[in-house]
Amino acid sequence: MQATPTLCSALACNLDVDILSAALPLLAEGRVEALEWSFDALFWAGQIPDWFSELLRTYSASGRLLGHGVFFSLLSGRWSREQQQWLTQLRQLANQLPFAHITEHFGFFTGQNFHSGAPLPVPYTPVTLRLGQDRLSRLYEACQCPVGLENLAFAYALEEVKRHGEFLDKLLEPVNGFLILDLHNLYCQLHNFSISYEDLIDLYPLHRVREIHISGGSWEASALAPGQRVRRDTHDQGVPEEVFQLLQRTMPRCPHLRFVVLEQLGNSLRTEDSRARFRLDFGRMEALVQEHRAGLTASADQAFLPLRPPQPGPALEEPALHEQQQHLSRILETAPSVAEARQLLLASPLLASTDWNIEQWAPHMLETAVRIAQKWK
Amino acid sequence: MKLSKAVLGAIVVGLTVQNTPETVP
Repeated sequence: MQATPTLCSALACNLDVDILSAALPLLAEGRVEALEWSFDALFWAGQIPDWFSELLRTYSASGRLLGHGVFFSLLSGRWSREQQQWLTQLRQLANQLPFAHITEHFGFFTGQNFHSGAPLPVPYTPVTLRLGQDRLSRLYEACQCPVGLENLAFAYALEEVKRHGEFLDKLLEPVNGFLILDLHNLYCQLHNFSISYEDLIDLYPLHRVREIHISGGSWEASALAPGQRVRRDTHDQGVPEEVFQLLQRTMPRCPHLRFVVLEQLGNSLRTEDSRARFRLDFGRMEALVQEHRAGLTASADQAFLPLRPPQPGPALEEPALHEQQQHLSRILETAPSVAEARQLLLASPLLASTDWNIEQWAPHMLETAVRIAQKWK
Repeated sequence: MKLSKAVLGAIVVGLTVQNTPETVP
């Protein structure tokens, strides 16, 4: 087995011809030090081809295969049969293919179907905290390796942005979990809420950061405020200069950082130009990682394993939260305009004057929520 | 990380024969 570097340059690499074609020269040169795989994208797709399995097995055998879930919908108020099945499949997969760690996204999915929709945030309350802690303990129980959560790009209001890190810390505490700090998601928040890096970064539990993501995204004009643009986490472009600068500034603040991962969607890697740009982005990330790695001194490794094995009982359910989530999803997915969505929310006995704080939602972010929900419904 | 020629060759063949998420030899 090849010795694992203290800090790895990694790629998000799925069973996708365009990603693999773009990444192949990097893989052939031995530069991809770890691989992140969205394992649950194939839960519905039948058998994994042998050649891709062999790639995964190679990284797994060296302790460098990272599992990144997409569809678990961690903070849905209802516990579904599909979530139970998802955990069963993860347990089987982790037995066959050991992961260095498993991660998921913060939020709940808007779609009616289990594996459709887009993740949106929930209020930071004792109810959602208990629910998230319950789900994370089940995740650990299934995979028996460190578990982590990724910060969300989307938020409705500045106060929510400022409290996101603290809430993630509380969610992760019982399983001694870790944080994926997605720097493009952070970049979205810095821009969309006009907050400075210095004011936001220390509000995240940086002692829990084991992995950093970098990626690109896109700008979307707001119809509500001419000239105002919303930054979206669409992963369909190269990494912007600002995100590389965030990487350089953030790595020294994260004492337990082990992996830095470049992400880009395959459908934006169909031309040779885009693939060349992708490899240049990897090279720049790799250089920054190597520069940071060279200055590291030996420190005690943080295993991010529970201090006591969690023993989850029956799955926690929050019917009132589920009803609110369903109602919010329906409004976002079907409202013919942002103004109408706002009227429906303010008139809703389920959502108005509650912890959802819809009265405080920034208009340009409600507009974005409507666009996201209607894109993926 | 160095990959074996067999692993790299198999990827090349798979891609030559030859489509993930802000819903089928």
